Amino acid sequence: MHCQACILLTESELREVDYVSRATSSLTTRTVEVCGDFGDRSPAEIAHELSQVLKKHGYSLSIERQQHAANWADFAVAVPIALGFAVLFVLLQKLGIVNVINTSSVSYGTAFLIGIVASLSTCMAVVGGLVLSMSATFAREGDRVRPQVLFHAGRIAAFFVLGGAIGALGASFTLGTTGMFALSLLVGVVMLVLGLNLLDVFPWVKRLQPAMPKFLATRALGASRMSHTLTPLIVGVATFFLPCGFTQAMQFYSLTTGGFLVGGLTMLAFALGTLPVLALIGFSSFSIKNNAKAGIFFKSAGLIVILFALFNIINSLVVIGLISPVFNF
Amino acid sequence: MKPLHLALVVAATLIGGSLMISLNRPSVQEEVPANNVTIVDGQQVIEIEAKGGYTPRTSTAKAGIPTILRFRTDGTFDCSSYIRIPSMNVSKNLPSTGTVDIPITDPKAGSLIGMCGMGMYPFQVNFES
Repeated sequence: MHCQACILLTESELREVDYVSRATSSLTTRTVEVCGDFGDRSPAEIAHELSQVLKKHGYSLSIERQQHAANWADFAVAVPIALGFAVLFVLLQKLGIVNVINTSSVSYGTAFLIGIVASLSTCMAVVGGLVLSMSATFAREGDRVRPQVLFHAGRIAAFFVLGGAIGALGASFTLGTTGMFALSLLVGVVMLVLGLNLLDVFPWVKRLQPAMPKFLATRALGASRMSHTLTPLIVGVATFFLPCGFTQAMQFYSLTTGGFLVGGLTMLAFALGTLPVLALIGFSSFSIKNNAKAGIFFKSAGLIVILFALFNIINSLVVIGLISPVFNF
Repeated sequence: MKPLHLALVVAATLIGGSLMISLNRPSVQEEVPANNVTIVDGQQVIEIEAKGGYTPRTSTAKAGIPTILRFRTDGTFDCSSYIRIPSMNVSKNLPSTGTVDIPITDPKAGSLIGMCGMGMYPFQVNFES
């Protein structure tokens, strides 16, 4: 079990079984306590029977605690992959990818181009890291396509609507220095937790995993479905406010366009430009589930997400003035 | 343990290679002589170019005289188009092309550290008395 949604899902599914009167799941111990009239069946038989109920969601019940296998051998491949990725990322920045843009007027075409460059710049550490951590986390729970489609839909729609609003109002919705600091620190910490989780080495991190609060994920809507729909959508919309130099510069430009349609279309073109690389990052988790390389993929993804998370956390502390600049690209 | 060794060698080569490249690249300060500080009629102007980082990264100026930090952008859409100077509580968007002046009425001796909105492009002005 990974999250609060799992608790609700397992509890509600088990309560549906007619001879079960009460079921209580616990994320901390990863156990479920079941009360009911079981006749003279043995605990093992009951566990097997109830496993059938939960099988379709990917859970299984056993009367003995499952041993946690950390598969340290996967790291022999995952560590070089993650380091190689990090080196490539730093190289891209050092070689001056951001200087590819050499224009002073912004047409929709250049906005698209700026989007492509942005997705390869340090913004990748923020938005790309978020996409990777989210898509890998959902993929591990067996939901691959939909969360990503929802994320991109939310992101693109938000860029058009909010970009249009900025253009029409002539005022930006920046969060201010403190708000930006809080948001980027939050994103960094969430990514750190998701990354540690993807490593699948420290079982205790599961307890820290952020999810919809239990009381919000009402059973009527289907606990799991709710968090798998709303979370990516909200995160997609939130990327509009994330600290990415290019996004901020484009917002600042849209502000001067003086119209809903022009501002909206400019931000839309920019968001579409960021789509290919972001989609590629997210789609990397498509083919992986349930094959032998899955462990390597999730560990590599986890390590990359952790590196990006540390990069973001350190940078947010630099920007607020708590520590002096660490990176120098 | 063979794949582990191979993997370690690959990782070390990648990191070593990238370090070599970044060390061999001449740093920005060396390329541009620091003649970006002018004093006209008792007004000190420090000009810094903002595009893919700040040039020059380190400037040296006089403390105690009215000063203007002038940021010049030219088709700048990256992080350097957002100036942040924590000690002065400055957070400012720059237009993609143009100049923006940030006045410092009485700069104290010492170094003023600023960076772009995400923190990975720093710049520094050393005020000397």
